[in-house]
Amino acid sequence: MSAPVVTVGTAQFAAHAAAASNGYRAALAREWRRASWPVRFSTICLVLFYLMAAASPVIAPYDPTLQHRELPDCPPMSLHLSAPSDWHDGFFYSHPLTLTDPIARTYTESRARRTYIHLFSRGHLFTTASSDAPYFMMGSDGLGRDLFSRIVYGARVSMTVGLVGVLISFSLGITIGAFSGYVGGLPDNLIMRWSEIEMSLPSFYFLLALAAVIPAGLSAVETFVMIVAIMSFISWAGFARVIRGMAASVRSRPYVEAAAALGGSRMRVLVRHVIPSVLGYAVVAATLSVPGFILGESALSLLGLGIQEPASSWGNLLAQAQDVQVLAHYPWILIPGVFIFLAVMSFNFLGDHLRDRLDPGNAG
Amino acid sequence: MTIPHRRPRRLAVEGRLQAWVFIAASAALALSAGCHVDRPRGDHAHDQILYSATISDPKTFNPVLVTDAASGTVLDNLFEGLIKYDAITTLPEPDLAESWDIADGGRTITFHLRRDVKWSDGQPFTARDVVFTMHVVYDPHVANSIAPSITVDGKPIRVEAADDHTVRMILPRPFAPLLYAMGFAILPAHVLEPAYDAGRFNQLWGIDTPPAKLVGTGQFGMIRYVPSQLVDYRRNPDYWMKDTNGGPLPRLKGQTQLIVQDQNAQYLRFLSGQIDVYGPRPEEVATLEKHAAELHITVDKIGIDTGSLFFSFNRNPRHYVHNGMTDPRLTWFTDINFLRAMAHAVDKQAMINLCFQGLATPAVADISPANKVFHNPNLKDYAYDLALAAKILDAAGYRLIKPGVRGDPHGRPIVFNLTTNTGVKIRDQMCVIFQQDLAKLGIRVNYRPLEFTTLVERLDTSFDWDCVLIGFTGTIEPNNASNFLRSSGNLHIWNPAQPEPATPWEAKIDQLLDQGTMVMDPKQRAPYYWQIQQILHDQLPIIETVREQRFEAWKNSLENYHPTVWGLYKPELIEFRPE
Repeated sequence: MSAPVVTVGTAQFAAHAAAASNGYRAALAREWRRASWPVRFSTICLVLFYLMAAASPVIAPYDPTLQHRELPDCPPMSLHLSAPSDWHDGFFYSHPLTLTDPIARTYTESRARRTYIHLFSRGHLFTTASSDAPYFMMGSDGLGRDLFSRIVYGARVSMTVGLVGVLISFSLGITIGAFSGYVGGLPDNLIMRWSEIEMSLPSFYFLLALAAVIPAGLSAVETFVMIVAIMSFISWAGFARVIRGMAASVRSRPYVEAAAALGGSRMRVLVRHVIPSVLGYAVVAATLSVPGFILGESALSLLGLGIQEPASSWGNLLAQAQDVQVLAHYPWILIPGVFIFLAVMSFNFLGDHLRDRLDPGNAG
Repeated sequence: MTIPHRRPRRLAVEGRLQAWVFIAASAALALSAGCHVDRPRGDHAHDQILYSATISDPKTFNPVLVTDAASGTVLDNLFEGLIKYDAITTLPEPDLAESWDIADGGRTITFHLRRDVKWSDGQPFTARDVVFTMHVVYDPHVANSIAPSITVDGKPIRVEAADDHTVRMILPRPFAPLLYAMGFAILPAHVLEPAYDAGRFNQLWGIDTPPAKLVGTGQFGMIRYVPSQLVDYRRNPDYWMKDTNGGPLPRLKGQTQLIVQDQNAQYLRFLSGQIDVYGPRPEEVATLEKHAAELHITVDKIGIDTGSLFFSFNRNPRHYVHNGMTDPRLTWFTDINFLRAMAHAVDKQAMINLCFQGLATPAVADISPANKVFHNPNLKDYAYDLALAAKILDAAGYRLIKPGVRGDPHGRPIVFNLTTNTGVKIRDQMCVIFQQDLAKLGIRVNYRPLEFTTLVERLDTSFDWDCVLIGFTGTIEPNNASNFLRSSGNLHIWNPAQPEPATPWEAKIDQLLDQGTMVMDPKQRAPYYWQIQQILHDQLPIIETVREQRFEAWKNSLENYHPTVWGLYKPELIEFRPE
């Protein structure tokens, strides 16, 4: 899960590392020192989120679809430090909650009883002795499922959707845009007119229509991957147009003409000289467009087109909060929104930083 | 009133897509409304004007052409039928017809019309209006949902005006549902006949009609319609009904229905006092009850929902049999043992507690207990018992083929799709609960809700579905559900529009439906419908889930406000208490 981020990083670091003929580690350390604190914070957030996605089964204390039907809309449980004499039971404990009024969803804490929290037990970072007596760090949802576990598993969808989307739309965009700009003439004209047609497709209605024709047998995740893939297949066009403009301006630069004059084939000139010149922009634009996909997923889930129950994503978790009653009585349902906020913010900070570092002319 | 439609009201009410956008939009709307529309301000009680909210704009003002609930709600105040039903006893009672005689063993019904009724333009109401309305309804060029309910064995009823105030109907055979069916709106012949004769009926009384041109006999007349904002009504000064002291009715001077397209926004408007009455959702009941004193409101149970909400498995060979090959799913879904196990796997109590906040009851019979006469109270529910479900499946050959995977007798793993309509949180949760219980039995369910129109297309055209959670609204007259119950019906969702009944029990239901319409007395008719409910309960083409406990909230200053699940009881007496 974290590999692509490292790739983004290495492209940049490698350039500097080579220039300074220094070690990879040293370059990394220097980059870290150069970064402002928001960038450092963003990097840490993203590393944590991708770790969460990669190691969901370990980090989540429970199965995200396990329903505690006697504990719906349970508030976050308080955490207490055990007395040293009880440390053999666990360092932390919480008091179990019981639903006293199912209509008003009020809970009472049984002070007399304790649920001990075991660290590094049964393959989980932390969990309780049995899932029958759960500890809800961030409360539970309307079906009594642990919100924290659902957020951890939801990171898998929400953190990959951007990468998959960006990967597809940008590889298409770069290839087509650079080709079109470098070759020019009739192919350029055809490709650009085609991209204009694609850009004018009303994507929302397109997705609605799509949801109708997707075969029923697909699982929720398969459906979603399909929607994201198709979303990126229609979103390459805007990007391709920018790349095409850059490639067209590079075409008449002396070094490109020289490469062609020295007998470089079109393909070779394109791959070795034209594409690298636009790559810096591409990396920055890619980073900055990841949040768009994360938010897009949230919007789709809100409309019932994204990830479907019982699978979770940050978007469909937050969709439950679209109700005055829920907001007023179960505010912890908003927690997934904090994660979306942090992820989107982090990608934006990181993208800004990359732009400053890769395109010094733009830094001012 | 007519064929059971697929709960459009509930769907519209509960489909809260993009609630946030709508809240923001309706806030903006409220602001802009303040600028553009001179909404009557001041005290609802002082003005004697009742404010309520409706979920969407009317589509037509022509009562014969109405197909959606929103238009029906808007027009209810304006028009009347020959007969209405008492919301408490659910028995027919006089409306425009003062009385009626049943003769000739039920083959002739004579309606005696009231002589003191005037149309809102001052013309007298006569038998000619009734004959004209029936004529329009039977016209094949006027597509409407009333005609099927007054068609007996495919034949229209002969209607004649014996004199100005007597209408005689001659039927091919006794047909009990006719009395309930006669509640449809009667149209003014003197206003509409010229246009009808010119072939323009389908264009008459669209929503662009000036409200003053709508001529009715109802308690109120429409004075203003502002699209997406409100409908204003004023009392009909010539209304025929008088109170016991001879005083004029209705007591309210007017009504205003605000069009508020989001349930959250309706709730907030009720809290802020902009509307006087509100039907809260289960999760809102506790809050309203808690703050009843400071909000000066009454919150009360009005009864059990009239509809039915059930899981159904597709038994349609048109979807599962191709080139002589039968899909194994058809074999499972027509296997009574498989269906029984499914019924035992529905955790109704969890659905009640989690989805309805405890404000629902398990549903057993297809006809709601709200329908006091026709509900069958003697059915024994399939208890939630996964161990028993597993035992039934094992005994029928559906054994675990590997841990956590159950196969059919041929060793094929059991996997099927489950769907419902998107945007309804309660249904979403019910499906997820069912899905998890089936997972415990080793059955994999792919759950994917579908947008409503897509779902309907799959149910009635492409038949591409396996299991669905869907609801129908209930009606007092059980024969109104015949399009759903009859094997030839279009809404017979598990296998619609069969040329011949596919199973003996479906043939039996068809036969009971015929017999049930032959007897005129509701009490004597009931056993036929009880038996239909028994058959549905035994054969499980539909697996009942739960029925919501319905509530209503209204301002304390309202008097004689008696809401029921079937509508308001004696709405003409409602008034605000004078200060």
